[in-house]
Amino acid sequence: MAEPAGGRLIRRGICHLVGDDVSMDDGIIPRRFAAERTTDPQLLLPHLFANIDPALAGRMQHGDIVLAGRNFACGKPRVQGFIAMSALGLAIVCRSMPYRMLRRAVARGMPVIVGGPDPAALAASGDELEIDFSTGAVRNLSRGMHGDVPAMPPILRDIVAAGGMQAQLLDWLARHPEQAVEPQGNLWSATDN
Amino acid sequence: MTSTHDSRALRPQAQRATAVQKLLARAAGLDHVTVGEVVYPEPQLVIIHDGFVEAAYRELSALGFRAIRHPERAMFVTDHEVAYASPQAISRGAAIRDIARRWRVGHRYDVGRGGHGHLFPLENGMVQPGMFLFAYDMHCTTFGAAGALALGVGPEITTVLATGSLWTQVPATIRVELSGGLPPGSHARDVGFVLTHGLASGRWGAEFDSRVIEFGGAGVAALDLAARVALCNSVTELGIGAVLFEVGPPALHSDPAADFAARLSLDLDGIEPQVALPGGPERAVPVGTVAGRAVQHAFIGSCGSGMYEDFVAAAALLRGRQIADGVRMFIVPGSVATAQRLADAGLAQTFMAAGAVMLPAGCGPCAGGLMAPLGAGEVSISTAATNHAGRMGAPEGQPYLGSPQTVAASALRGCITDPRELCADG
Repeated sequence: MAEPAGGRLIRRGICHLVGDDVSMDDGIIPRRFAAERTTDPQLLLPHLFANIDPALAGRMQHGDIVLAGRNFACGKPRVQGFIAMSALGLAIVCRSMPYRMLRRAVARGMPVIVGGPDPAALAASGDELEIDFSTGAVRNLSRGMHGDVPAMPPILRDIVAAGGMQAQLLDWLARHPEQAVEPQGNLWSATDN
Repeated sequence: MTSTHDSRALRPQAQRATAVQKLLARAAGLDHVTVGEVVYPEPQLVIIHDGFVEAAYRELSALGFRAIRHPERAMFVTDHEVAYASPQAISRGAAIRDIARRWRVGHRYDVGRGGHGHLFPLENGMVQPGMFLFAYDMHCTTFGAAGALALGVGPEITTVLATGSLWTQVPATIRVELSGGLPPGSHARDVGFVLTHGLASGRWGAEFDSRVIEFGGAGVAALDLAARVALCNSVTELGIGAVLFEVGPPALHSDPAADFAARLSLDLDGIEPQVALPGGPERAVPVGTVAGRAVQHAFIGSCGSGMYEDFVAAAALLRGRQIADGVRMFIVPGSVATAQRLADAGLAQTFMAAGAVMLPAGCGPCAGGLMAPLGAGEVSISTAATNHAGRMGAPEGQPYLGSPQTVAASALRGCITDPRELCADG
């Protein structure tokens, strides 16, 4: 991979606090949508976090920020939760989340910070925040407060800035046009067993 | 609060690095890496099995890729559906050969050639201590038995094929200090069950999500490669990141003052035979807890217990005896080379004389029951990598796990049996 450019990544939006252990298979989206294999974001969006607060989805705007506690997106790795959250352009700051879920969030181009403090130390639900994912600086615009969270690693910022993993692969191909052509001739001696 | 990810001032001294930090730093071309840092390590080998080659090709072709970044590092292995059991498997085999040719894949192990992709590269020297690999399948942790770092990344392996690397966050390490030696009748597999159960139940209060489990201490010397493979394999399903044994060049071992996330000790002398109840290796109990449960299906093999020494241990119990009426038992060598050794040494004869069936080298029933499956309402005991519902066929079956000796003893008696009872019989 190329050296990370690690450009700036700043998000401004209303924040929504959720607690610890908000699970992938029920907390983020009710599990029936996984059972029904629903993947249309428009069908999923009205039900985001419905088991925590049925009215929460109605208050969420594109580009908002989820402040979560420990073990965010735990449980069975259903795809519906990330389909909906990424379609709404949400960013995530949490105390912890399973590594494989961090990978999924980044793959879908979501700004995400792991290792944050207790969400209540940063804001209350409804506050407007500005988060610089490249430095970890948090401005609570509603309260005139400042806070710090860990920065998002530059390699991950690049993937998110590109629009996710698939967009980064297309970008890679554009920079390596030789990989758009099927190899010709015997380029090396393969071990064929 | 300062950054935990990219604080150069906070980089630890070289003398405090864990083995995984050293291996990832080397693979990423860096002097040091910190835990939590995100890097692009370059693998020396990229392994994909027959269950995912076509999907990888479709995904990359749809994006416009016609060539992969480092074909000379890529390895295709057919180990999941070896003896094609369906017309689909036959056409899949043809597709894999075609894709390997189009992409100029450097290492292709077709049906009946290598065997299990997590085992034969250990036996033929392709995987060496200190190597770094990416693989599609999570059970590539077996390479930790040789001191190689292998990360199973699932479908993201397509990114490795396309670009030559994949972002990797340097994981924390749980150090497990082994002491003593295993008593007769106990096996490294039993150590793995004790450890897996202990970690899952919070016995040591250690977080294990995506951590590296590192085995060191005086007890390591008492474990041969097959035993180390069994131990690496048994802890994999917990959701750990990788497993490493402290073998190979000392320069690549963890420094004595390395910053481990947790340190545990296990005395091998105190390990008794275990059985994992259906649902996962972490559901382990001492074998006596479920002794007497009737079994109809048994197999020895899979990436965790498919090496020559595993079969020697089982054959010692099966020699001169007959497996119980109503039990069908399958022997699945991990590699073609192991299958040949079993034949040369007369062990294949021992297994067949006892009434067991020899299957071709590969995953055996553990690959979703594509071969020799478990039926609904039946009970199985095996050395499979895991035993969640449907792993070996019918979701309504009851798959238990045990060591090669426990599986052999249970097949002989027709019910779950403590192998020490048969050892005592002489």
